Amino acid sequence: MVKKFVLLILVILSLALFVFSCKQKKQPQAGDEESKGKKTIAVVVSTLNNPWFVVLGNTAKERAEELGYEATIFDSQNDTAKESDHFENIITGGYVAILFNPTDADGSIANVKKAKEAGLPTFCIDREINANDVAATQILSDNYTGCVELGQYFVGKMNKKGTYVELLGILGDNNTWNRSKGFHSVVDNYPELKMVAQQSAEFDRTKAMEVLESILQANPEIDAVFCGNDAMAMGAYQALAAAGKAEKVMVFGFDGAKDVIDSIQEGKIVATGMQFPKKMARMAAEQADEYIKGKRDFPQKVPVAVELVTQENIDKYTAYGRQSEP
Amino acid sequence: MKKVYKYAVAVAIVVFLGYFSISFENLDDVREQRRKATFNAARYARDFRDNQLVHVLDQAIDVNELIELFNSNMSEAIKRYGKAPGVSRNYAYLIEGRGQILSIGDDFLDVSTRGPQTQSNAKILSGLYIPGNAVRDASGLVDVSTFSDTMKFNEISGEINKIIVKEVIQPFLDKKPQPGDTISFLGATQVAQDATEEKELQLIEVIPIRLELESSL
Repeated sequence: MVKKFVLLILVILSLALFVFSCKQKKQPQAGDEESKGKKTIAVVVSTLNNPWFVVLGNTAKERAEELGYEATIFDSQNDTAKESDHFENIITGGYVAILFNPTDADGSIANVKKAKEAGLPTFCIDREINANDVAATQILSDNYTGCVELGQYFVGKMNKKGTYVELLGILGDNNTWNRSKGFHSVVDNYPELKMVAQQSAEFDRTKAMEVLESILQANPEIDAVFCGNDAMAMGAYQALAAAGKAEKVMVFGFDGAKDVIDSIQEGKIVATGMQFPKKMARMAAEQADEYIKGKRDFPQKVPVAVELVTQENIDKYTAYGRQSEP
Repeated sequence: MKKVYKYAVAVAIVVFLGYFSISFENLDDVREQRRKATFNAARYARDFRDNQLVHVLDQAIDVNELIELFNSNMSEAIKRYGKAPGVSRNYAYLIEGRGQILSIGDDFLDVSTRGPQTQSNAKILSGLYIPGNAVRDASGLVDVSTFSDTMKFNEISGEINKIIVKEVIQPFLDKKPQPGDTISFLGATQVAQDATEEKELQLIEVIPIRLELESSL
């Protein structure tokens, strides 16, 4: 009898805990509190653990607000399951559009499809999904072409010979391969340029530092490091500085993030590919606004050109864009 | 003892079924295979070169006329002749011209289209490797929106450039062109919209689509 009573108490406590935790997880709803009366746009960002994506998300939110909407940012933490949860909440939460930076080119398609079926338009920003019939439009960094240009510059700086390391981003992300393939489409034509190691550091600064430290133990005499993003370029530079090789080894990044733009100015990093997160985010918010007002004929994919930033033209650029642009 | 046999048989069945019903493959390999199975960039580029490109070559503008328009009114040049697949500061153009080879470098020919006493106006890429999207974009024939992933769109340029090296540049080089020879060309170029902001543009880089040796010295 006592056993049964204890069991009953345990069940009741578990249920209470479950209900409480469900309440804690309540997601922001469109039209909450003072935002009542305004339409709300969801901004879903792959990760807020990288300043570049913070700029992307904040700019999309700010532009949506300038256009008269409420906007809420959701952080997917590079996790497709979390992203899926966000979409579930957005679909039932009364939002009118989704500005979306996907976590996975294939894995994110189902979320966009679900939103479309629920009548919610999705506007992809920077990263693409491998489909051309579910999103309202996709505004994408032209990573491949940007890295072709970066590759040409790399070949020139290396005088067509030497050894280098490549740090890749997240393996499931199209941007990782678009950048790598663009770079190799140029560099692989020069047989005296030898890649001694190619490893993923998942677009992460700390991982890049650790990965390069380990690579340097086996290959201490490299001439350059090509990194698939600027966070990894900073991590690589840190590893080289710690090994006393920062003066000798050239580091190339990709993004146009603030610390790399500053480092190019200081002569620490050689070059990067400037993507335009602010421009892309603003375009996405403006197109969502046009969609809400009735426009439907958007091109499925809009590549946004990436520009090469070097120590020679750094005066034309600022973090995340051009000096002459907002 | 019988129980032991029963458990052993049960475990064997589970292992057997498990082994033959589940297989593990690298996700990236599967994706790459799937992509390759449905799209062949080399085949696409071949069709583009043989059957599509020919229909737009008559849109090529004279190189001297285009350079003059760049310097006098860049936005008009972009509006009338420039093409870009998305948002870009670089625009691609189909151009044609005739001129004299001034010098021959490792990867290019310097050509004057205004007579032997003038500076070169066209740097015609003639290396055994050509980068960039100028031909694909200048043609205006390839729409990025029709591709499910942009890698396919990008691979096309690489394949088009390979065909050009093999079927345009190599046969031309086999004729042993020399400085002073007259050539005619039709090709594609990419020019930034701010290329004339600081000084006049005099020289443009051309990826050849047709290259003919008209006369030798």
